Amino acid sequence: MTKQDILSLLKAKLGAGFMGSTEPIHDQLWVEVKPEAVVQAVEILHRQTPARYLVSVGSDERDIKKRFAVYHLFTFDKDHFFITLDVTADPHTPRIPSITNVIAGANWSEREIRDLLGIQFENHPDPRRLILADDWPAEVYPLRKEFDYSQKPESHPEQAYKFKDNPPGTTVVAMGPYFPVFEEATYFRLYVEGEKVVDVDYRGFYAHRGIEKLGDQTLTYNQIPFMAERICGICGFVHNVSFCKLVEHAADIKVPRRADFIRTIMLELERIHSHALWLGVAGHIIGFDTVLMQTWRMREPIMWLCEKITGNRKTYGMNLIGGVRRDIPRTLVPEIRTKMNNMEKEWLAVLDAVKDDTTLRMRLEKVGILNKEGCHEWAAVGPVARAADLDMDARKDHPYCAYDAVDFKVITADSNDVWGRTVVRILETLESFKIVNQSLDALMELPEGDIITEIRQDIPAGRIAISAVEAPRGEDVHFLLTGGNNRPERWRVRCPTYPNLPTIPDMVRGEQVADVPIIVGSIDPCFSCTERMEVVDVDSGKIRIYGQEELSSWTAKHS
Amino acid sequence: MFLKKLCAKAFTKSLWIYHINTGSCNGCDIEIVDVITPYYDAERFGIKLAGSPRHADIMLVSGPVTRQALPSLKRAYDAIPDPKLVIVVGSCGCGGNLWFDTYNVTGGVDKVIPVNFYIPGCPPRPEAILYGVAVALGLAPKKVQAEATAEGPIREGMWK
Repeated sequence: MTKQDILSLLKAKLGAGFMGSTEPIHDQLWVEVKPEAVVQAVEILHRQTPARYLVSVGSDERDIKKRFAVYHLFTFDKDHFFITLDVTADPHTPRIPSITNVIAGANWSEREIRDLLGIQFENHPDPRRLILADDWPAEVYPLRKEFDYSQKPESHPEQAYKFKDNPPGTTVVAMGPYFPVFEEATYFRLYVEGEKVVDVDYRGFYAHRGIEKLGDQTLTYNQIPFMAERICGICGFVHNVSFCKLVEHAADIKVPRRADFIRTIMLELERIHSHALWLGVAGHIIGFDTVLMQTWRMREPIMWLCEKITGNRKTYGMNLIGGVRRDIPRTLVPEIRTKMNNMEKEWLAVLDAVKDDTTLRMRLEKVGILNKEGCHEWAAVGPVARAADLDMDARKDHPYCAYDAVDFKVITADSNDVWGRTVVRILETLESFKIVNQSLDALMELPEGDIITEIRQDIPAGRIAISAVEAPRGEDVHFLLTGGNNRPERWRVRCPTYPNLPTIPDMVRGEQVADVPIIVGSIDPCFSCTERMEVVDVDSGKIRIYGQEELSSWTAKHS
Repeated sequence: MFLKKLCAKAFTKSLWIYHINTGSCNGCDIEIVDVITPYYDAERFGIKLAGSPRHADIMLVSGPVTRQALPSLKRAYDAIPDPKLVIVVGSCGCGGNLWFDTYNVTGGVDKVIPVNFYIPGCPPRPEAILYGVAVALGLAPKKVQAEATAEGPIREGMWK
């Protein structure tokens, strides 16, 4: 479907509900709809077109446009563009209809907007707290402009999260917040009947660090890439590239080709070590520690290689808007090739060992089923969707960096289960070796040293950009509305675990209790990404400058 | 010195470590797991990751302690039997990192529970984690000297 088809379809069906449309950037369509027409518009996109829901973003625009705004983001994967539905909410009593009854995957986004901005959603099926801590007072909304970033409201324990009632005849099994097989804090409350899981409730967001308010008063476009990298310690470079792409897109900055290839190489190295890490952790979860030890042994040379290229094993600090900070010299290329070849050989051995292992297959096959329809409903991404035979990969659908110049396959499977996800990840890693090798060929051709574009003018305010980057866990989507003072007005990160995690109840219902950890593990959950709430708002004109005295008093305090 | 003597006396056998993540980005956590895998192999020192705080001697904390994780951290700390050591891994736990004073972050583990050793880094290398734990156990010498600040000399570590 082309943009024109979509526009005429929406215009015809919505009538007066359709308020206008623009095309801010070539790969975007921006449609304003009236609040009363939004449910119908979403229904049309979700049911009658190939659109895929991404995320909803709330924004406090009372200073500039006298309104709260909610943006519903969709993508047309095969037509390579994004569409945004722009809905206005009243600045005093913000209230708009909920779209969760049409798309289940919008549940978290809407609850998040309610928690942080205080926009109420009518007819939301599950209006419980999602992000804020259990003792956070009601009606204090940290993302509103008037809220100071370092304010720490008093404790109100009566606000604590209310779990679902036990279904009759069931027992509660608590998994978390600190559960041995998960590295991170998360809480699954299982309702079980004997060994069978009947229902599950989830409470997460233990890693909500509230970075937005810090960015409010101190960070600029130049500094945010380093913070973006710290959203996640495993796929940090993905967030970093996503953010840089956003700004480059919004301000129309051209990146040198060599920088594109270097970014591609780093992204793929990250995918390789992340998939090796995942396979090990998955083995550990089902009690097969040999897999953990072997894959992590293989992964280590990749970490050393990353250190050699960038100076650090993780959080590379490599990327800036306009390019990268360090070149990969030609002298290093043969070493990278050798490491890739060695790892590829070992990885093929892993594939051989895993694919015929009866024990593994018995544990993983027909467990944690999520089919195509389920994926569409929950807007699932990455290996979870690809294991349900959905051909979806941001590297092909929305090409970025140098992915338009390299040749690789999108791996899919049709078994819908944990086994399918495992196979997809293992085979995908083999494609990554190919991509790295092709990018190295390109590096040998391109002139050394041309790695960053100097940006002389300011980033203009009021521009909009969306970027999608394929992280090891799935598609990572960033949304940006540029503002004044050299910082974003609104920056929203939707990491791949964010849509994948709410599918867990569907996957575990009817399964054995013992299978729950591997089912949760099979989406490769990354709670720190999910819970980051990486949003930067600009607090108009209010910039705090820290004096020497304050700084030294902190130093003393923290030493 | 007191601490060193006590360590030498109380922790003569294998040490079990309880790792708790209080809102970190995963970077430190994967490096901690890395320490027990073949290249670094902390288990050769008898160090083992324990699943429950009640089985542990040492608490390894990562993350800046978010508001939601705070009550659980305190409970886990109380659940570890005395004598116990607390080692903080990573810049977030040491001082709060980038988000040390945001609304949802406490800003450092030592604001909440007594901390004995700090392993800084974002994330610290596996070697650094191994070295930090080895210093804590008296297996390796310290490479830095304690220095005096405006608030007085830095303590060797607090002991509850």
